[in-house]
Order: sequence, then C-alpha cells, then structure tokens
Amino acid sequence: MNRLPILFVLAAIPLWGATAAADPAKPHLVVTPTTLDFPIEGGPAQVVLENRGGIPLNIHAIRLVEGTDFSVATQARALAPGEKLPVTITYNKSKLRNQAFGGLQILTNDESYPVAPHQPNDHIAGVALRANSSCLLSLMVFIPLLGMLLVLLVPKGREDLVKWVALSIAAVPTVLAVYLYAKFDPNVSMQSGNYGLQFIQHSVWIPSFNVEFYFGVDGLSVSMLILTALVSLVAVGASWGITKQVRGYFAMFLLLEAGMMGVFCALDFFLFYIFWEVMLLPMYFLIGIWGGPRKEYAAIKFFLYTLAGSVLMLLVLIALYYNSAETTLVSGQPAAHTFDLMKLSYLNSRLFASPSLTLLGFDFAKICWIGLFIGFAIKIPMFPFHTWLPDAHVEAPTAISVILAGVLLKMGTYGILRINFGILPEATQWAGTAMAVFGTINILYGAFCAFAQKDLKKLVAYSSVSHMGYCLVGMAAFTQTGFNGAMMQMFNHGTITSMLFILVGVLYDRAHTREIDKFGGMATQMPKYAAFFGFAFMASLGLPGLSGFIGEALVFLGAFPVYRIITILAATGVIFTAAYHLWALQRIQLGKWNEIWTDKSIFPDLTLRETLTLVPMAAIVLLLGFYPMPMLTLINNGMNDLLQHVTGHAAAGALALVP
Amino acid sequence: MDPSLVTPGTLFFFLLASVVLISSVGVALAPNILYSAFSLLGTLAGIAGLYLYLGADFVGIVQLLIYVGGILVLILFAVLLTNKIGEVRLSNLSAGLSLGVPASVALFALLARVATSTQWPLTEEAAAPGTARLGDAFLREHLLPFELASLILLMALVGAMVIARRAAKEESRSVPEGTHDRLA
Amino acid sequence: MTLDNIASMKYFAPELILSIGILAILTVDLIVGKPDRKRSSLLAMSTLVLALLATLVTSDGVSRGLFGGLIARDPFTDFFKLLFIATTAFVGVAALRSRDTIEYQPGEYQDKESGEFYALTLTAAIGMMLMAAATDLLMAFLSLELVSILSYILAGFKRRDRKSSEASLKYVIYGGVASGVMLYGMSLLYGLAGSTSLSAIHAIKDPPLLTLIAAITLCFAGFGYKIASVPFHMWCPDVYEGAPTPVTAFLSVGPKAAGFALLIRFFHGAIPADVRSVPLILGLIAAATMTLGNLAAINQTNIKRLLAYSSIAHAGYILLGLVAGNDDGQRAILLYLVTYLFMNLGAFLVVMAMSDAGLGEELSEYRGLGKRAAFPALVMAICLFSLTGLPPFAGFFGKFYLFAALLSRGGTFNTALALIGILNSAVSLYYYARILRAMYFEKPTNEAPILEASLHRWNMGIMAAVTMGLWLAWTPLVDFAGASIVQWYPHATQVASLH
Repeated sequence: MNRLPILFVLAAIPLWGATAAADPAKPHLVVTPTTLDFPIEGGPAQVVLENRGGIPLNIHAIRLVEGTDFSVATQARALAPGEKLPVTITYNKSKLRNQAFGGLQILTNDESYPVAPHQPNDHIAGVALRANSSCLLSLMVFIPLLGMLLVLLVPKGREDLVKWVALSIAAVPTVLAVYLYAKFDPNVSMQSGNYGLQFIQHSVWIPSFNVEFYFGVDGLSVSMLILTALVSLVAVGASWGITKQVRGYFAMFLLLEAGMMGVFCALDFFLFYIFWEVMLLPMYFLIGIWGGPRKEYAAIKFFLYTLAGSVLMLLVLIALYYNSAETTLVSGQPAAHTFDLMKLSYLNSRLFASPSLTLLGFDFAKICWIGLFIGFAIKIPMFPFHTWLPDAHVEAPTAISVILAGVLLKMGTYGILRINFGILPEATQWAGTAMAVFGTINILYGAFCAFAQKDLKKLVAYSSVSHMGYCLVGMAAFTQTGFNGAMMQMFNHGTITSMLFILVGVLYDRAHTREIDKFGGMATQMPKYAAFFGFAFMASLGLPGLSGFIGEALVFLGAFPVYRIITILAATGVIFTAAYHLWALQRIQLGKWNEIWTDKSIFPDLTLRETLTLVPMAAIVLLLGFYPMPMLTLINNGMNDLLQHVTGHAAAGALALVP
Repeated sequence: MDPSLVTPGTLFFFLLASVVLISSVGVALAPNILYSAFSLLGTLAGIAGLYLYLGADFVGIVQLLIYVGGILVLILFAVLLTNKIGEVRLSNLSAGLSLGVPASVALFALLARVATSTQWPLTEEAAAPGTARLGDAFLREHLLPFELASLILLMALVGAMVIARRAAKEESRSVPEGTHDRLA
Repeated sequence: MTLDNIASMKYFAPELILSIGILAILTVDLIVGKPDRKRSSLLAMSTLVLALLATLVTSDGVSRGLFGGLIARDPFTDFFKLLFIATTAFVGVAALRSRDTIEYQPGEYQDKESGEFYALTLTAAIGMMLMAAATDLLMAFLSLELVSILSYILAGFKRRDRKSSEASLKYVIYGGVASGVMLYGMSLLYGLAGSTSLSAIHAIKDPPLLTLIAAITLCFAGFGYKIASVPFHMWCPDVYEGAPTPVTAFLSVGPKAAGFALLIRFFHGAIPADVRSVPLILGLIAAATMTLGNLAAINQTNIKRLLAYSSIAHAGYILLGLVAGNDDGQRAILLYLVTYLFMNLGAFLVVMAMSDAGLGEELSEYRGLGKRAAFPALVMAICLFSLTGLPPFAGFFGKFYLFAALLSRGGTFNTALALIGILNSAVSLYYYARILRAMYFEKPTNEAPILEASLHRWNMGIMAAVTMGLWLAWTPLVDFAGASIVQWYPHATQVASLH
C-alpha cells in the first residue's frame, strides 16, 4: 500500500517523456551530437546529420551564430531517407581569448524543430559549440551544496566531525579562489571578446523560457568571489562555538555559501534571481534559530525586507525579458527574448532606453531602474531601507553577522553595478546624482547612528551602513577612479568588518554582554585582543596604510570632480567615523578596569582559533593598505569596461589609479 | 406598454408569475416554519403552471406529482412530526438590510435592463406537447446528462444514508460528549 | 470530430472504470457486511490505477467531442484526468491512516463508513473529470453539482463533530445560492444562443454587451464558488477548518482545479472574442481575491484556517492566468495547478499526520515541531516556501509563469495587476513564516517526540520531493502542459436541439 503513490508517479513519467514516433510521411532530422566540445588549441570536429524519416529532408542552410572563432565548410543539401551528412566545424583559436562559445543552426523542413523567426518554412535544429568550457565556477558554487548533503549525512552525536567536514568543505572554494586569482588574466577586457568574461560555463537550462546556465567572471565579480570564499572560511572558524543543532547550522551555512557564490557567478538574470532567493532561506533560519533574544523578529524582518525588494526585481526581470530583442541561445536555437545579462546589457540597453517604451505610464527604463534599485538598495542597505540591518546584526550569531556584513551587503552594490548599470546605463546616468545624495546620507546617517549606540555590535552594524555609503558615492561618480574606489571599498569593507564582528563576538562570548559602557581597560587584561581590536578599528576608520583608506580615498578622488558639494559633505563623514570609532575604542580598551567584573579570569586573551580567524583578514588589510595594486589590477579592466558602457565613451588612461 | 403584450396568454403568464413570486416571498419571510412550508405549495404549483403554459406538459405534470405531491408533503410531514420545530417561532429576517436592499435593488435593475434591452432570438416553433421527444432525447442526445443525474442521485442517497445513519446512532446512544466510546 | 454515444464509450473508459469501481466498493461492502478500510482503499486504488491506464491508453492527442458534443476528450481533459487521479490517490492513501475521516479503533478494528468514504471520493473524481471535459452548459452544471453534493457530504463526514456539521451546512447553503445564481446566468446565455453548447455560445452574433457581461458575471458565481474566489469565498475557511483534514486537502486541490478547468473552458471556449471587459472583471476579482486571502490569513491561529485563506489567495494568483487570456496564460494555469497539487497537499498532509499523531490544529501546538517531528516539519517548511513562491521550489516556477504570462501582454492594467500579485506573495511570506517560526524558532511546550505513521511519511516525502525537485523535470512538464491547453474547435457540432 505504501508504495502505491510512487507507482502513480512512475506511471505518469512515460507520458511526460513521450515523444512522437517517427512518421514515415515526414522527414526526421537527427543531429549527433548536439553539443560539440573543442580542445583549447583549436581544430576541427564533426557533427553528423541524419535523415531518419521516410521522405527526403531539405536542408536549407547550415550557418553559424555568434561564434566568431568557428568556421563551417560543409554546404547544405537535401538528404534522402537514411542518408547521413557529416558537417565539419573548425575552431580557430584567437589570441585574444582562450574560450569560445557559439551555435550552429541547421535550417530544415523537419517540423518537429522550432520554427525559425520570420521564416515560417524553416525549422531550426541547433548545435552548441564550446571551446575550453570551464567548470571552476561551478565547483565553487556546487561544492558547498554537496558539502551540505555531506554534513547532513554525518551521524548524530558527532558534532566535532560536522565542524571539521564543514571546515574542509569551506576550504575548497577558498583554494579554488586562490587558483582563480592566480589564473585570472587582468588584461582581458571587452576588446578580448566574450564580453570580457573568463572561466565561462554556458549551456541551456530551461529552453521553454530561454533560461541559460551561464557562469562567468570578470573584473566586476572576481574580487567578490574571492571575498566570499575567504569570509565563508573564516566564518566557519568563527562558528566553532555553536553547540545547538550543529548539523543543521552547518548545512544551512553551506547552503548560504552556495547561494552567495552563485549570485556572483550567475550571468543569466533568471539564474541570478534564483541564487539571490536561495540565499534568503538559510539566512532566515540561521538568524531565527541560532540568533539572540529577539531572533524571531529580526529573522522575519530581514526576510520580509529582502523579499519585498526581490519580488520587485522579479517583475522587472520579466518586463525586461519581454522587451528584449530576438537572439539565439548558446545551443544555436533561436530565442524570442533573453535573460542573458550580457546580451541584455550590451545588445538591448539602447532598446530599453527608447523613450517610446513605457511601463505604468512612466519611462520604461526609469521605472525598471527604480524597481531594481529598490531591490538592491534594501540589501546594501541604503537609507531609508536600512532598518532591518541593525536588528539582524544584533540578533545574528557572530559568524552570520560576519557573512551578512562581509558578503551579503556587497550583493546590493554588486547587483547595482552588474544589473542597473549594465542593463540600464541611460537611466543610471539619470539617477546618478540621486545615488550620490543617498550615498552621502548613508555615510552621515550611519555615522551619527553609530555614535549613539550603546551596543558595540549595533555600532559596528551602523558603521557598515555608513561605509556602504562610500560605495554608492563612488559608483555614482561615473569616473574610473570612483568605480575602482567603490569596488575597493566593497572588498575592503568585507575584510575589515568581518574582523570587527569576530572581535565583537569574542567579547560577547566572554562577557555575555556587548554594552560598551560595561567595559573599560580591557587592554590590560587581553593585550592580544586589544591589538587586533585597535588594528581593525583603525582600518575601519580609514587610517592611511591600512586598506580602509584606499577605498575611501579613491571614492572621494573620483567623486570630487563630479559632485563637489556632495563629496565635501560626504568627506565630513570621515571625521565622524574616526570620532565614533576612537571613542568606542577608548571606552572599551583604555581607561580603568570596569569594576562590575570582579572576576578577571572570565576574560582570557584570544585563543588560537580566534587568532586564526583574525590573522588572514588582518594580513589582507595590511597588504592592500600598503600595496593595493594586486586588487586594483584585478578589477581595473572590468570597471573600465563598465564605465565605458555607462558613459558611452572611452575613459582616458587604461589604469587610472591615482589622478 | 406594447399593446401586443396584452394578450390573454401574457396575462396568464403574469398571473402565474405573481403567484410564484408572492408565495416564495412568503417562504422566505414567514415567521413560522409551517407557514413557510405551506407557502412553498404556491411556488411549486405556480412553476408547474408555467411549465404547462410553455407547452412542457410532461415536465409540468412531473413537477406537480413529485414536488407538490411528494416533496412538499414530505416536508410537511417532517415539520409536523418534529415536535419542536412547529412551535418555535423562527424569524429568518436578516439584519443586513442596509447592504442587502441596495444590492438587491441594483441587481433587480440590472436584470430588468438586461431582460428588456436584449433582442432575444425567438423560436418560431409553437409550443406543443412533446413527451415522446423528451423520452427520445434522454436516450439519445442527452443520454450522458441523464445517466449523470442518476449518479448524482445515487450518491446523494449514499450520502444521506451516511449522515442519517450516524445521526440515528448518536441519538440512541446518548453518550456524554468527549468521552471515548469503545462501543462505537 | 464528434462521436455518437456508442463510439464515445471507448474514450469515456476512465469514467466508466471509476463508476464500476464505485459500485464494486459499495457492493463488496454489502456482501461482506463488515466494513474494512484496507479492502475499500485497495479497491479504490486499483480502480484509480485502471482509470489511469485507461486514460493513458486512450489518449492520443486528438480532440474529440463525445456524446454528440456534450463533453470533450482532448489533451486538456487528459491533463486534468491525471491531475484528479493523482489528487484522489494521494488523499485516498492518506485517509487510510487518518483517524479524522473514518472511525478507527485499534481494539476492534471497525472502519465505519470506509466503503462510503472511498465511493464518494471516487465519485468526486468522476465529477471533476466531467467538469474538465464539459463543453455544454448542461454538463457543466450537472458535473459541478455532482462535485458540490459530494463535497457537502464529505465535509460533514467527521463523526460527532459540531464543526464538521456546521461546515457541511454552510457549504450547502452557500453552494445552493451560488448554483442558483449560476443557473440564472446560464439561462441568459441559453436565451442568447438558443443552445447550451459552448460552441453555440461562442458563435453568438453581435451579442448585447450588457447582457453578456451580466450572464458571464452570474455564471462566475458558480465557478468562483468552486475555486473560492472573492466574493464567493466565505464558505472556504469554515469548511476547510471543520471538514476532516483529508477532505480539506482534497477540497483545496481537486475541486479547485476542476473549477479552473471549467473556467478555462468557459473563458477560452464560450465567450465571444470581442467581449473586452472580461479581463477587467477577472483582473479585479483576482486582485481582490489574493489581497483578501492574504490579509485575512495573517491573523489566523488555526492552521487549517490559515491554509484555507492561503488557498483563497492562490486562487487569486491562478486567476491572473485567465486575465492574461492567451495560450501562455492557460499553460501557466496548468503548470501552477500541478505545483499547487504537490505543495498544498503536502502542507495538509503534514497537518493530517500531526493530528493523527495527537497534535491539535492550533498554531500554538506546532511550537518546536522542528525538534519533536523533524521530518514533517521539514516537509511543511518546503511546502510553505513553495507556496510563498521562493526558488528553487516548484511554486516559484509556477508563479513565475503566471506573472510572465500576464506581463507578456503588456499594458498598464496587466502590469499593475502583476505588481499587486507580486507584493501579495511577499505579504504571504509573513503568515507562512508564522508557522515556520512556531516550528523552528519557538520552544516546544512538550518535548515528547511525535511519531507519524509510516504511510504518511511516504506520502509527505513524495510531496516534498516533487515540490523540491520539480525543476529537474520542468522542461518536459512545460511541454506537456503546453500541449494540453484547450484548443477551441469551432467545427464541433452543436447538440441538436430537440428537433
């Protein structure tokens, strides 16, 4: 009896998979294979067309779409029943790029294939051509997902094993990120083809809606991927103290990591959206189950805010899709519309900006821009959508705060750069000043709020609001320096704020309170801790020589020529930032020992594990503070391409680091 | 009013229609359930008259036989045999007048407008008795609805049995509510 | 092509098999004398399997009018036949272990009315199949009544329960009114067309707009009552709360899907193409339905009642597919109904399994369920996320197709409607999350673990697996649904009026 339902499901499958049997009165084209992989060095490969129908098959054309590095020599002709035609395709490797993707279209009279646009008599069979397709990004995304299953398979009662499994799984993307950093070619740009992307993986996912599985990385996303891998690894270290439902915690954690990685890798809007949403679920549980006293409230607030933003994104996504121009999928099949972010950006952006296109009575591009922007601004979080952040941060466990501030906030700015800037460049310019103004409000408002906080974690949370404002100002400048500054700020804030949250967590673990006034003179008791604390706070307030300074300086340098008054206002934020950081530092670390703590032994200095979670971040902060070139060269070409796309003209100077 | 409408036939129609209407108002508004049941007589009989007026002789007779002769009598029996119902003065006047009256008036106005403004396609065929054709239709074009109706009746019967049998048992047992009863 | 009565029999086989099965269940009960739920359910399940096979064997992708055009047998009906068979089977299997429906006492093993329960459920399946197949107002009305009457009985099936009886009575009264109003609308359509056939109605020349709109709106009372859309939704929370849980699960999926099948047939088949106001009316109803359903769900404390309001909201979303009014919209409805079948049934199965294990239906009873019954809580969470419309769960894809169908039509009205819909699905998260919160974030009042019956575990597992993994089979499903949309064939001859 128990298995009866399964029987029904099984019985229904043949019907789904039912394909029409070959009709003897029709031609029937069979293409083998439908995906052709070429080696990196180039060369020929063959596709065999066969007519398995009962009457002759007319092949009207065999043509290449979108694959400039491929060539096909075989002529189209009719095929008698049973006849085969081998088609030779050659991949001529270009010096500019080491990957190529294209499609082969075979136009025939076999009606089982989709009709060609504008040619009702032709039906198109497609062949995907791929040269040197990469799976590095897939590994980075899906290994954490596999790890999640692995963690769930660990038998009950083996909590320590769970932690080690999670740690080793989280280490894999980090190793891959190092490999990515080493192999990433900073010289690749739009001119190199493939839209300046590297490590591309591209195939069709849902053909009925032209959804593609499209992963790739460029100057825009590479630093974010590295940051995600690094912060996730450190966060696993920071989660070592979790004792409640350990398996569930790490399973959710790894799912979260997969979601974050996916967001930065996905280049198909639909895929991007899926990862964007997938990330929400584990976050909700991580805050809601393992959080502090008001965890339920904080979790649902976070969830609702983000979902409200992302459903707007979903609407815009569909609207953009239906207004995009006809194109082809990577399989060579024609597609009436596309979700491909690169095609939406570089082939359709003019179309979207056309003034005749409207939505709800407003300019299409502008309303879409606003819809997307609200979705991303909630994530940044931008004033006035920021109210979820302090709650979420205060209630979330330490490691989740690290992830939240270190990676999740960056998704907002990354989304704006990738999607708003990419797809709607005209509207972006229209909204530039508004972005700068909101960015400045963020900087100042965040700083003032941080001043007023009694809770150290809330202070750090508001400092994030303030720091993300710098990114907005830099992005709104539309200069190479501003863009680079915004990107640097995103990366640096990720590393610095991770340290800050870990440090807050360390204090909380010992004192079970985060109230700033309850502490004092901690430096005498925990000297190592005080050193890291001071270091992180100095980095966060933008001390020259540490990485926090670089981002801020570039942002202001880039924005000043464009928005003078706004930039001057924003720059005053630096003073307030320094003030509240130093004030908090002084109250906690310096001065006299607060006498409410009679037992000093509850404050041991940093343990080895805690030190290990802090050291990598500190090293990066120090390195990039003195020598930011490794990061700048990595992102420079990507940002330059984006700038050219948004402003529509070439930026002066290839590597405009310091004006 | 169009003088062509004032014929003995239409007068007869309006007479029947008003009988149906007035007695159904009685069904709805009568304070005593017994009066409601009696008012139903006018409604059902009036509808039978309408069927006959339209030339549907068989349906008219069946309406009289089954509804007036059978169902109505059954209802009366039920009312009279159930000792409490007859005496209780049930008033089913609903309080939602403020919303109900305007809605009803608006609906009536709409339907009246629909009825009067539409050019209804009229059939040339004169109304004539057609019992034989009816029987034919049941076994030819409308075989499926005929059988489906029997399925509905069968299942209504089964359902009525399920509910009634249970109710009867409940009464005979008279177990205090909530106690777990092993004899069930 | 239209077949006569005899030739139709072959294509009517699924319904015939079900009818025979119903009679067999009742007769065997009569002969053996002792009701036994295992026997009855086995009979019912084998009947369903046979009906499934009959559906698959006689399905050839050709559109036929059966019984002189009273009902159709086309890919559309086949799609719904499969859907109804699946629904009935899942509910039937679940009822095998449910104490809610059929009296079950371990000591004596008496299964009161188990035969009747399965007979009634199978008859409801026939009724739903006929609703999806009806191409004639007469058949539409009769099949709708069949389903309604069975729903009334099933809703009142719970023994010694005032709520169940109340539900049944409310259902009858609302249903009677809705049917009456619908009949009036149908009579107007008949008056205009001179025939009850949908194709004849479709062929009305220069219909007076006011009359047609009035007729459509009145007819919608009946359909809207079946799908529980505003303003015909009032029965829904009471009935869902009061009815035995397996019946609630059944009512929330089966008759609702059947109602949508009828709506699609009606709006894509019967309504002349030049009636412009239909999308406007449907759109307003859809917006009101989802908004009211979602807002009313927020404050519910009974989990069945909460899911009832959620199912009202979902009817609103699905109506968006009809507002779109094109093939994409139709396909989206079919897809959504499939996803809805699994996610909604899954949620109700959890409620069922828990109440069989002795847990109440109040939200407060679900506190700490994540610890007490990890698997059912997980299934519930998956189903709730799917109902919210979060990827990668099935509900997201369903919703995406609905909104995409609507937005593909463009226009301010459609866009605004999509905006309302999408914001509504964000609102819905709030009350779904209340269940999640109770299950996972709050401390249980009682730490004792809850053991669910293994049958329920299997059933829930299937629901959760499909809800989670439907995207893997999404492309074939889309193709299947795309091939199953209603094709209007004007060549279908009308039923000859009575000579």
